[in-house]
Amino acid sequence: MQLLNTLLIGITAGSIYSLMAIAFVLVWRSTRVVNFAQAGMALLSTYFGYEAVSRLGSFWIALPVAMIGGAIFAALVELILMRLLVKHASSGPIAGVAPIIATLGLLGVIKSVVTMIWGGQDLRIVAPISNNGFTINGETLVFSPLKLLVLVVVMVLLIMLSILFQKTNLGLALRASAHAPEIARLSGVRVDAVRTLGWALAGAAGAVAGLFQTVNGNGNFSPDSIEFSLLLVSGFIAAVIGGLDSLLGAVLGGLFLGISISFVLMYVSSGLFFIAPFVILLIVLFVRPQGIIGVKAGRRA
Amino acid sequence: MHKSKKQSTHLPLFILVGVVLFILSNFIEELRVSQGTTIAVYVIAISSIILLTGYSGQVSLGHGALMAIGAYAAAVLRLEFNLPIILCFVAAVLAAAIGGLLLGMAAARLSGPYLAGTTLALAIGLPSLANQFPILGGEQGREFKVGPPDFEPEVVAAAEPLTFFGNVLSILDKLQTTLATGAWPGASPMSTYKWWFWIAALAALISMWTVRNILNSAYGRSWRAGRGNEVAAQLAGINTARSKVLAFTISAGIAGLAGALLAMSIGTVSPSAFPLALSFSLLTGAVLAGITTLGGVIIGSVILVAIPEIADVVAHRLGSSESVTTNLPGLIVSGLLILTVLFVPNGPVEQHRARKAKHEAAHSSTKK
Repeated sequence: MQLLNTLLIGITAGSIYSLMAIAFVLVWRSTRVVNFAQAGMALLSTYFGYEAVSRLGSFWIALPVAMIGGAIFAALVELILMRLLVKHASSGPIAGVAPIIATLGLLGVIKSVVTMIWGGQDLRIVAPISNNGFTINGETLVFSPLKLLVLVVVMVLLIMLSILFQKTNLGLALRASAHAPEIARLSGVRVDAVRTLGWALAGAAGAVAGLFQTVNGNGNFSPDSIEFSLLLVSGFIAAVIGGLDSLLGAVLGGLFLGISISFVLMYVSSGLFFIAPFVILLIVLFVRPQGIIGVKAGRRA
Repeated sequence: MHKSKKQSTHLPLFILVGVVLFILSNFIEELRVSQGTTIAVYVIAISSIILLTGYSGQVSLGHGALMAIGAYAAAVLRLEFNLPIILCFVAAVLAAAIGGLLLGMAAARLSGPYLAGTTLALAIGLPSLANQFPILGGEQGREFKVGPPDFEPEVVAAAEPLTFFGNVLSILDKLQTTLATGAWPGASPMSTYKWWFWIAALAALISMWTVRNILNSAYGRSWRAGRGNEVAAQLAGINTARSKVLAFTISAGIAGLAGALLAMSIGTVSPSAFPLALSFSLLTGAVLAGITTLGGVIIGSVILVAIPEIADVVAHRLGSSESVTTNLPGLIVSGLLILTVLFVPNGPVEQHRARKAKHEAAHSSTKK
């Protein structure tokens, strides 16, 4: 029973990491930038969601509001910040680190502005359904209706995303611009617009990750909650495990990470919560540097 | 082959700066002295980032964690074995350098965003280890007390106040008295803050001097070569993997020293002293300084220390609410980081130099 519990908790947490990893992969594929501000965007979207819940009273309205808000914000970031960055800081010794530094700066800006607007105290988003565990044969599982809901919503989003990428012309344009931007441009794809769209999709995915991370925890969140740093690191690690270039890899990476962390916490020590992702990342980088589904190009970005 | 002439190590300049700082420290108020300590800590930490990122081209968001390693090493040795302070600082450098060696071996296989993400995971994960080992003291941490030596400074009350234009002979005379008794006639009395500043400033000067000369040595050149074009550097016979690991190790050791000094100025070592924000502000300081300009670290450090004060003044002037006041420094630091990367990506000093060179080139071509 303990084994099943550990596995289910791991899968739920892992599915949230998967969403965050997908956000990283979408941005990486469209602009070759690892967006360290992703956690800040998720935080901002969670506040959008909080506003929607407290005004309109429904989590089910808040979810799309947060997604749309997150998408618009991410698109603006790409349109303004990233394009300026490509124009100004693409040569000299700074070129390699400029995107990293710029997105970190953005993370700081978002965090300060959010704290100025909403204050630093804990706010609360109430989960739409119960987080009390299911009872089977008189034994109470840790797995709850809420966790099941998180899992279902994430799976539905993943299926929608894969339909978008595999079955639509837009998805084809997204894939073409990621793999061969010049050829895509020559074939009439508006690569710049597609890049912005990639960021917007990432913003929406991050918004869902932020909201679910909050309700899957204790429902409280603040600009300083460690949850968002954890989301940043776990999402990044999940994306790297999956090879950083593959959406399927991101999903598998997230689930792998979630389940591994859950097992480490249960069977080794619960104090290893923050160091476990780092160790798992190092092991993956040494054992399988190209990621689970990566091309054999090594880690040269 | 072009034989480079032996470069000067600029030792006299560093000694002169040290003497000036020492004299100044006796005549400024305690708050400024303690800010001076913070500046010195930042100078050391940022120069470690410049060595690593600017020269060897590796990004680390985990230098806060390396500083923590140094700080914990110093504090634990001090408390458990009562080692002399100077040995504690040496141990801080060594412990962090070993941590950097291990991290660097992993890092040599990574680049750009992968390395940034890995070190980010370390920065978030490592401080939490303090709760795993009782010797590290959990959330409260361990204390790290460094007080001035036990002498009663004989303050000569009758001495006339010193003006900066006072003649050199009298200064030398007083310096002699100071060296003999530990107190400058007419100076502010000895305090813990001043003692800390002396230690931090001396450490900053020594590490700046060391970093400067390493960067101008064959190592510095091989790092730059590897950053510019890894394949070309390998063809020129440079073992780029080993040179990256070396850069990481040295940089980590310097960061460890900064960490121990930071702990000294706080009085304790705890996980909360080394948050992720610390790693970020170091990177900000390095970018503001100009990521390849060692001299700029002083600008970067002063800005980092000055921003909270400036923000305070601005917030009061605008009469804004408390939540704005407390978050304005963070906003300014992050905003500056973005603006610098966008508009003066290689730092203000480098930008000025490039513009000047361009101007001169244009000038000389029109002359012809």
